[in-house]
Amino acid sequence: MKSGFSIFLAILLTLGGSWIGFVVAPTMQLGTAKLTTALVTGDTWPQQRTGEATLGQQIYRANGCVACHTMQLRQDGVSFEVVLTSAGKINPTAVSNLISTLTLTGLNKEAADIAADKISAVGGKTETHLTATGADISNYHAVRRSVAADYLYDAPVQLGSLRAGPDLANIGARQPVAAVHLQHLYAPSSVTAKSAMPSYKFLFEVRKQINGVASPDALNLPAEFATAAGYEVVPKPEAKQLVAYLLSLRADAPLYEAPFTPATTKP
Amino acid sequence: MNDDMSDESKSCSLPSSTEPTATRSTVPMWIFVVTLLLLFLGFAFFDKKGGWFDVRVYAPYNSSEELEAAQPKSAAAVAMAAGKKNYETYCGSCHGNDGAGKIAQAPPLSGSEWVMTKGAERLAHIPLAGLGGPIKVEGKDWNMNMAAMGAGLSDTDLAAVLTYIRGSWGNKMGEVSPDDIKKVRAEVGKAPQPYTGEKLMTMPE
Repeated sequence: MKSGFSIFLAILLTLGGSWIGFVVAPTMQLGTAKLTTALVTGDTWPQQRTGEATLGQQIYRANGCVACHTMQLRQDGVSFEVVLTSAGKINPTAVSNLISTLTLTGLNKEAADIAADKISAVGGKTETHLTATGADISNYHAVRRSVAADYLYDAPVQLGSLRAGPDLANIGARQPVAAVHLQHLYAPSSVTAKSAMPSYKFLFEVRKQINGVASPDALNLPAEFATAAGYEVVPKPEAKQLVAYLLSLRADAPLYEAPFTPATTKP
Repeated sequence: MNDDMSDESKSCSLPSSTEPTATRSTVPMWIFVVTLLLLFLGFAFFDKKGGWFDVRVYAPYNSSEELEAAQPKSAAAVAMAAGKKNYETYCGSCHGNDGAGKIAQAPPLSGSEWVMTKGAERLAHIPLAGLGGPIKVEGKDWNMNMAAMGAGLSDTDLAAVLTYIRGSWGNKMGEVSPDDIKKVRAEVGKAPQPYTGEKLMTMPE
């Protein structure tokens, strides 16, 4: 072959270049990621999944949930709010008069610092609260964006790229009730009327009630979705594992990378 | 159709003497200018928004400094920041913003045995009453006069300054509360006389 070496070199450069770009560089950047600590509480983050939830991740994978659900929240900005914690003893009236003339919410960092300085100059004490903003944040009742640390225990990481269904990065915090998730998997439209999600009935078993008594695990379905009298719908282990995994998906702790002021610390 | 054909045959039958040839020519200067400008703008944008590939910097933050500034601060951190501001206004010009002191102006504060005391009571006398006469700091003799620089500051502000002095440049002593300052302020009285080193040593730590 006349130009065999050139072709070899071209292939080597193409594949080698993409290998360096897609494998080596990200591994160098994030491969050493370690457990981190949440702000405020000091808890380790992310929290290790239970065995059931770890199995559930493979059920999530096997059923192709990633095809319609993403697991990544974006954030457009931050908004600062100056909160008065104490009017002080020196001149409380001056503080309250000043407060009424200032804008204290929806500020940027500089404006918040200026407002806090003005209030402290007359003796008031303030706290500055941080809130994440953005379409994802408001649409999915999230409190912050997703960061690399959130996926530390994910194998594989299932970020997803299509939102035929909602984002699930924070689903465990948004809907912490397992029974609702189970009912939604069995009959999506029984929970969300116009849901486009297919039913995952094969993760459940329809069986005869024992002595006419429903088992504790049986789904409590609305009349139009219920089975024939004397029968019940119980989740298979796979369904329980999947729900355990869904409940483990949370992006609700403030981290150094994505700080915010948790609602519980607000007075 | 026929016209097209004839056109083509015409162009194909050009005499060989007019065959186009490639000759050397210089690259126009504007290409370099535009390329360099684009490179410059690209790097300026990256520098401003890229965060220099820091793994902890995510949108909406553009740099690690911006992220650091946005971190929720604890009350202690806020006091340190306020103390730094006042220290650099009132104390730094003589004692140095690095706390190392200045020859023939003021003794060092970093590592000074007058600062690294268990409590801050003795230390608080110095800015509230002033200090004059010979003293020994870190093994060196000093003979200076310091006015009561802290007498004009509020209890909270002076406490923050002393907290900053006791917690910076390698000093690792505890916080000073405004109540400590209040107590010492009452002790030195309204029109204080500058203390001497010996008198200061009799004060509790």
